[in-house]
Amino acid sequence: MERWRKRMLLIAASAAGFALVAQMAHVRAMGTGAAPEQQAASKSAQAPGGAKAGAKAAAAGAASNNGATSESASEAGKPLSTRVVAYQIEAKLDPSKHTITANETLTYKNLTGQALDTFPFHLYLNAFQPQSTFMTETHLNGTRGQEAGSGWDKKNFGSITVKSLTVDGAGDLTNKMEFIHPDDDNALDRTVFQVKLPKAIAPGESVTFHMAFDDVMPEVVERTGYKRDFYMVGQWFPKVGVWWKGQWNCHQFHANTEFFADFGTFDVKLTVPQDEVVGAAGDLVSSTTNPDGMKTLEYKSEDVHDFSWTAFPHYTVVEDSWTGSAGTVKIHVLMSPGNLAIAPRYIKALKGTLQKYDEWIGPYPYDRITVVDPPHGALDAGGMEYPTLITAGATWWVPKGALVPEVVVEHEFGHQYWYGMVATNEFEEAWLDEGINSYWEVKVMDSLYGPNSVFNFPFLQFSEDQQQRVGYLSLPDADPLTRPAWKFINDQSYGGITYGKTSTVLLTLERIIGEETLRKACHEYFLRYRFTHPTGEDFLKTIEEVSGQNLRWYFDQAVYGTNVADFRIDDAHSEPANWWEAEAPGAKNPDQSYRTYVTVRRKGDFVAPVNVNVKFDDGKTVTEHWDGKDRWIRYAYTGKSQVASAAVDSDHTLFLDRNFFNNSHVEKADKRAVNKLQNLWIFAVQWVSQLMAWLT
Amino acid sequence: MKPKTFLQGAWLVWHRQRVVWLIYVVTLLLAFLSTRGVAGRTADVLNHSAESVRLVHGFDVGALIELGEIPDSPLAGQSAMFAAPAILMLIFLIFVAGGALATYYRDESLPFGQFFEACGEHFWRFLRLVIYFAIAMIPVGILIGIASAVEHHIDETAVSPLSAFRFSVAAGIVILLIVMAIRLWFDMAQVIAVAEEERAMHRALRHAARLLWNNFISLYWTYLRISIVAMAGFGAALYLWMIVLKPEATRLAFFLGQLMILWWISTRLWQRASQAKWYWEYRGSEVPVKPTWSAPSPVEDAAAPVTPA
Repeated sequence: MERWRKRMLLIAASAAGFALVAQMAHVRAMGTGAAPEQQAASKSAQAPGGAKAGAKAAAAGAASNNGATSESASEAGKPLSTRVVAYQIEAKLDPSKHTITANETLTYKNLTGQALDTFPFHLYLNAFQPQSTFMTETHLNGTRGQEAGSGWDKKNFGSITVKSLTVDGAGDLTNKMEFIHPDDDNALDRTVFQVKLPKAIAPGESVTFHMAFDDVMPEVVERTGYKRDFYMVGQWFPKVGVWWKGQWNCHQFHANTEFFADFGTFDVKLTVPQDEVVGAAGDLVSSTTNPDGMKTLEYKSEDVHDFSWTAFPHYTVVEDSWTGSAGTVKIHVLMSPGNLAIAPRYIKALKGTLQKYDEWIGPYPYDRITVVDPPHGALDAGGMEYPTLITAGATWWVPKGALVPEVVVEHEFGHQYWYGMVATNEFEEAWLDEGINSYWEVKVMDSLYGPNSVFNFPFLQFSEDQQQRVGYLSLPDADPLTRPAWKFINDQSYGGITYGKTSTVLLTLERIIGEETLRKACHEYFLRYRFTHPTGEDFLKTIEEVSGQNLRWYFDQAVYGTNVADFRIDDAHSEPANWWEAEAPGAKNPDQSYRTYVTVRRKGDFVAPVNVNVKFDDGKTVTEHWDGKDRWIRYAYTGKSQVASAAVDSDHTLFLDRNFFNNSHVEKADKRAVNKLQNLWIFAVQWVSQLMAWLT
Repeated sequence: MKPKTFLQGAWLVWHRQRVVWLIYVVTLLLAFLSTRGVAGRTADVLNHSAESVRLVHGFDVGALIELGEIPDSPLAGQSAMFAAPAILMLIFLIFVAGGALATYYRDESLPFGQFFEACGEHFWRFLRLVIYFAIAMIPVGILIGIASAVEHHIDETAVSPLSAFRFSVAAGIVILLIVMAIRLWFDMAQVIAVAEEERAMHRALRHAARLLWNNFISLYWTYLRISIVAMAGFGAALYLWMIVLKPEATRLAFFLGQLMILWWISTRLWQRASQAKWYWEYRGSEVPVKPTWSAPSPVEDAAAPVTPA
C-alpha cells in the first residue's frame, strides 16, 4: 500500500483502537499448482496478449505522441498502442539463492523522427544497495515502508547485473555500457546505464538488443523481493528509457519515484520449480515440464509497458470473471494462506470498480486482471500496480467495517487506467496517476460502499474524501503538485501532495465546475490520451475544454502553486444600535434595533470566491458573495434581530480549505462535541491510571 | 476452594463501599484536572463551530485528525495528560492499600482518622513491596522477551500468519496467569503485613509464599474467577457503549464509562477483600488480632481529687 495511505490508516486505526474479527468464507477456490496454468493454456486458441476485438473497436481514435497514425474503429485486430518495444525474456528462478538468471531480447522501433545512437536503460533492482540514490534518499527522508533514518539491512540487498550486451549489426557492446546518473551527482548509483551504438538507428528502423542478466532479489522491500518462498518480481529486467519531448527520459530510481516506459509487447518464459503457483501480467500460452523437473510457463502480453510476476507455492487461486462493454475479463486472485476469507471482498471491490470505470471513464480492453495477495511479512509488496496485475494487501483479522482491502484493490485497479493506459511520467508528474486515481477512488468507493467508505463502524466513521483531505493537511504548503517526485521535501509531503492534495484539488474542482462536467472531462482525457504519454497540461486543458471555462486562476494556485486555502469567520456579533444608551439587565425591548457585524478573513494565500451565509435569530438568512481577493471583508446589518450564526463556504465548495472549524461561528454554544471528547479523555486517563492498581 | 471467600469478598467490598468511592473520587478528580487544559483549548475551537456536529453525530475520524492538524491545534501535547495522573494514582493506591486492607480484614468501617493512620503506617512497607514486585517481574520480562523472539521466528518461517498469532495468544495467556500468581503472592504479603503488623516485607513475602504453596489452587481460582468476571463485565459495558448507545448520548456514555471505572476498581478491591477474608478465616476467629493502630491512652485529670488512703 502506498506509504502515505498506510500512515493515514494507521493513525485512524490507532484512534479507533479496536480490532474485530469478521470471518466469512464462501469462495470458489481452484486447486494449486498446475491447474490454473493448464486451464489458461487450454484457452490458448484466443489471441494472446489480451486485447479483445470489441475493445479494439472501442479504442478508436487513440493517438500517440510518438507520431503513429490514429486507428480506425473498423480495423479490429490492430494494436491499441504504438508498440515501440518488443521484449522477449527467458528467465529462470532459483529459490535457493533468490536469484533469477535471464536472457532478454529487446526490439526497439525508432519512432522518434531522428537518428538515435545512444540508448539508456533502467536497472531498477540496483537501487537496493546502500550507496544508491534510492537508499540515500530513503535514509534522509523515508519512503514507503521505511522511516527516515532507517539503517541498512543487508537482507534488503538487490541487484541486476547485465553480463553481456550484444546488438544486431553492432556486435558485442558489453564494454560500451556505462552507468550514468542524470538526476544527481551520485556516481555510485547503478540504476541507469547507457550504451552507444557504433552506428545510429535511422528513424523508422528497429534495433535489437540481446542481454544476459542476473537478478539478486532482495528480501521484500519497496514493492519487490522475496519473503520465505514468496516472490514478487517487479522492475526486474533492463528496461529502455522513453524518448519524450525530444530527448531521452530515463531517470534514476529515487525513493519517491515510480516508473515510466513505452508501450509494446512482452513474450516471457518463466522457468520455476514445479510446485510454484505463478501469476503474471500476461496470458499464459503454454506450460511445459522440463527434464530437470522444473516447469516453464510462457506468457504474452500486448499493448502494455511493463511485465511483472509472482511465484509462491502456497497460493490459493480464486477465479472469477466480469463482463463489461469491451468483453469478458478473467479475474485471477492469488490468495495467501490465512487470508482466503478476504477473497470475496477483493472480488466484490474489483468487479464494482471495473463496472464504474466502464461506465464513467472508458472500457477496460484487456481480457484479464490478476490480483496478488502478499503473504504475511511481505506486505511491502502490496499496494502496487502493474499492467493487468495488481498487488493488494490485507491481514486475516481485518474486520468488515475497515474497508482496507477494498480501498487497496480499487486504488490499484484504478491505476490500470491512470498509469496502465494513460501512461504518464510517474517520475516527473506523479500527481497525474496517483492524484487522479485517488480522486476516482473517492468517487468509486463512495458509489459502491456509501459515504463512510474507509471506516464504517457504529462508533467510528471515516470517509474517503476526508481521508484524502487530511492527508494533504499534514504538510500542505511545502511542495506543489507539479514537482518531480524525487524533489519533494520529504516522503510525507510527497504522499500528502500527490495523493491527498491532488484528489482534494479535483474534489474542489468538481464543486466549481460540476461533478458531471469533471467526469466528462476525465472520460475525454482517457479516451484522448490512453496508450500515450500525456502531460499535466494535457489534462488541465482537457478540463478547460470540456467545461468551457478558463480555470487558470484555479490551476495556477492549486496545481502549480503552494497556496493554502483558509477562510475564517473572524467575528460575528450583534449589539444594540443605540449602544451608547445603557440597557437594564434582562430588559427586553421589542423595538430594540441591532447592528450586526460579520467579519470574514482570508487567512491563507489561496484566493477564491466564496459565499458567506448569515442567519439571524428570527430565521432570516442573508447570503453574500465575496471574491476573496482582499484579506478581509466586513458585513454590517441593521434590524430587529440578532445574529444566530455566520459561515463562510458553508457547503465546503472550497474543499481545499485547511480548517473547516473556523469557517463558522454559531452564537449559541454547542458543547456536545467537547463533552464527548472530554468524556473519552477522562475515561482513558482513569483507565490507564487504574492499570497502576496492578502494580500496587 | 471456599466459595464463601469468593462471595464474602464481594460482600465486603459492597458493605465497605467507602473504600471504593474514595479511590473512584480521586481517580475522577485526577482525570478531570488533567484533561481540563486540552478540553478548554478544544472548546475554544469547537463550541461555536458548526463543524463540531461531525463529532457529535457518530464519530468522524477525519474531524479528529483535522483537529490535530490545524494550525495551533488544541490537541498538541495531549499525551502528557496521561503521565501525571498515572504516577499520582500509583502513589495514592500504595498509600490507600493499608487502610483498605485494614477495613476488609477487620470488616469494620474505620473512622477516617484511623483509616488514614493505617494508610500511613503501611505506606513505606508497601512501597518497598512495589519495588520487590518490580524485581519479581524481571523474570517475567525475560519470559516476554523470549516469547517475543519465538513469535518473531515463527512469523518469519511459518506459511500461515495464524501460527504466530496462536503462539502469541497462548504465550500471552500463560504469561498473564504467571503474572496473576505473582500478584496474588504480593497481595497476600500485604494482607499479612496488615494482619500481623509485620514490618519486614521479606518475612511477609516468605510467609505469603508458604501460604500460597499450600493453598494455591483455592486462592488462585478465586483470583482468576474475579478477573474473568471483571473482564466480562467490562467487555459487556464496552459493547453497550460502542455498539448500542447512540453517538449523541454523551451523558449516558459518561455515566456508562464511570460505571466501568467503578466496576474496574471494585473488582480489583474484590480480589483484595477476598484475600483478607481468606486470611481471617485461615487464622481462625478465636486468634486475637493485634490492632493495626495504637489504642488511645487514658487521659489523666490533674484536677481530680486524690482519695486519701
